[in-house]
Amino acid sequence: MPELRKDPVVNRWVIIAKERARRPGNVIDRQAAEVVDSGQSCIYCAEDKNAIYSKDGIQVIPIRDPLLTDTKEWHPKNFGLYRVIDGTGHHEVVVEAKDHVANMADLDVQQISNVLQVYTERISGLLKDSPYSYFVIYKNYGISAGSRPIAHARSHVVALPIVPLRAQEKIKGAGQYYTKHQCCVYCDLIKQEENCASRVIAQTEHFIAVIPFATRFIFEIQLYPKKHGCHFHEMDLGQTKELAGIIKTILWKIKIGLDDCAYNFIIHSAPVLRGDMDGRQESLSESYHWHIEIMPRLTRIAGFEKGTGFYICSIPPEDMAEYLNGIKL
Amino acid sequence: MSELRCDPILGQWVIVKTVDSLGPDNYKNSGQPLEHEATCQFCPGREHMTPPEVGVIARVDPKTGQQEGWQVRAVSNKFPALKIEGLLDEKRDGMYLQTDGIGAHEVVIETPAHYQNLTDLSDAEMISVLKIYKERVVDLSKDKRFKYIVVFKNYGESAGTTVEHAHSQIIALPMIPKYVQQEIDGAKKYFDTNKNCVFCDMINQEQADKSRLITQNEDFISFCPYVPRYPFESWILPLKHQSEFSEISVDEQTRLALILKETLLRIKRCLNNPSYNFYLHIAPINEARPESYHWHVEIVPKLSSVSGFEWGTGVYVVSTDPDQAASYLRNVAL
Repeated sequence: MPELRKDPVVNRWVIIAKERARRPGNVIDRQAAEVVDSGQSCIYCAEDKNAIYSKDGIQVIPIRDPLLTDTKEWHPKNFGLYRVIDGTGHHEVVVEAKDHVANMADLDVQQISNVLQVYTERISGLLKDSPYSYFVIYKNYGISAGSRPIAHARSHVVALPIVPLRAQEKIKGAGQYYTKHQCCVYCDLIKQEENCASRVIAQTEHFIAVIPFATRFIFEIQLYPKKHGCHFHEMDLGQTKELAGIIKTILWKIKIGLDDCAYNFIIHSAPVLRGDMDGRQESLSESYHWHIEIMPRLTRIAGFEKGTGFYICSIPPEDMAEYLNGIKL
Repeated sequence: MSELRCDPILGQWVIVKTVDSLGPDNYKNSGQPLEHEATCQFCPGREHMTPPEVGVIARVDPKTGQQEGWQVRAVSNKFPALKIEGLLDEKRDGMYLQTDGIGAHEVVIETPAHYQNLTDLSDAEMISVLKIYKERVVDLSKDKRFKYIVVFKNYGESAGTTVEHAHSQIIALPMIPKYVQQEIDGAKKYFDTNKNCVFCDMINQEQADKSRLITQNEDFISFCPYVPRYPFESWILPLKHQSEFSEISVDEQTRLALILKETLLRIKRCLNNPSYNFYLHIAPINEARPESYHWHVEIVPKLSSVSGFEWGTGVYVVSTDPDQAASYLRNVAL
């Protein structure tokens, strides 16, 4: 019998259709797994004279052909029913290593830790120097994850003047849960996952990675800090090496177990509400919990998912966790 | 250069590339590969290979006017995502909620001809497809366990189809999907503030402005929304305020068939037969009617892939200004 499962944060239902499932080892869509290198001289290998920041062999450079322009202030306009802001924002690229290595999984733990430290330093820097309220860090590995055909590991830091819809949904869901239970929904989720263990795929003293109960995609992974905190950039810098270790474990399991498939990696952190007078930032600090999403791109989104936000996943998350846990590194 | 645009229904921000927008030729498309019809289970003569028929419209020979075989068939899906039999028993496990996967999953075979697609159908044949959509929605609405019915189509491999023979799908669900609920909530909020339907206001603005208009007829308008999520995204709305798709008249059904076919044909010609999805956003069933809602069709050509930015934020980057997309679609030779 298929199951309908509800996500406890954003209240999204998904269909876990076991009958449609093939064995986990067979699900891989070969088309998803390519990392194409155009073979031209790599723009990320050379030292960039426009680098914004540089440390431990990591370069932070402005994105080429930016869509968003940095400004100190912006003025929303109305266009009939709609709201419009000139394309304001900031976009930079973190080149994760000097070596021409494609996958973060192939960097050593210390280097991944350095990258995480650079992320936190960049956000702290942008917070000081720019007026934006929302910061997202993400990476696209492989063409079908949205990467250009350059096989050099890099990630993106984007700052926006608005709070995006997905963040709003999570904030709203977490806020409602907090009002009802006087507790962070993510903290409760972590406790329940630790207890039941059937969806846990990696764990350290301060971090835990699970396949979500109401997973949308095959092998979708959520990685949480066990200690409550709403902002990624405020994480304990003494723990970046531990976080790097668990990230490397997960990325290696994807590489070996899922045929080096394309994936996205996203750090979700609470917005920074500037000039906050009404205590919204404070309640956000209590109810929101930063986390990392790692999404192997193994399935295509069809009309049903696009049109409804209702997802059909053909493997139960418990079976996915079992499969990943069976992979020996 | 770009603009950040916020839609008035969901409060969704997107980034639209307004300068140096990409034209149709910038999107790589090689048309659709063809498979062999020899084994196709949707072809005439192999009706026994599909699950039982739940709806059918007879084929009328255009020369003789005689009925002969079928033109459109609706059948249960052989690999259903949800099962029709059973009860909705909610189970709670700590913070998690789940129920048995009860629902209906049907396939609409749109034509008996293996190598035809919606854009190749005659007007009368296209009308039959819309007629069966409506019949199935009305019939499935009688099942009190269901709260929502999704009518959708995946065309082409990269839009998620696995069977070539022209078909669409219908899924009946025991709960209202998230996007639809957000749209209904957003429309209600707009109505409470402005005393007007947000979709009606949108139609007025598009009719006055005309720059994003694709085509219109007596009952429907087709345009590229000002805040799209995807390049060349196109919407079809009934001009009259109407929350229920199942209440469209015979004339409206005809005009919907015509405008849908024309819009799909323009997309096909303009973008070299791209993969696409379309889906109906209709009001929930077996619930109080949401008066401030306005049903519509959304058509999304599959031209670009989403990256971690879109997945992570819900802020879509759209590389073609909808004004230009509409202009290309309006001016393509049919």
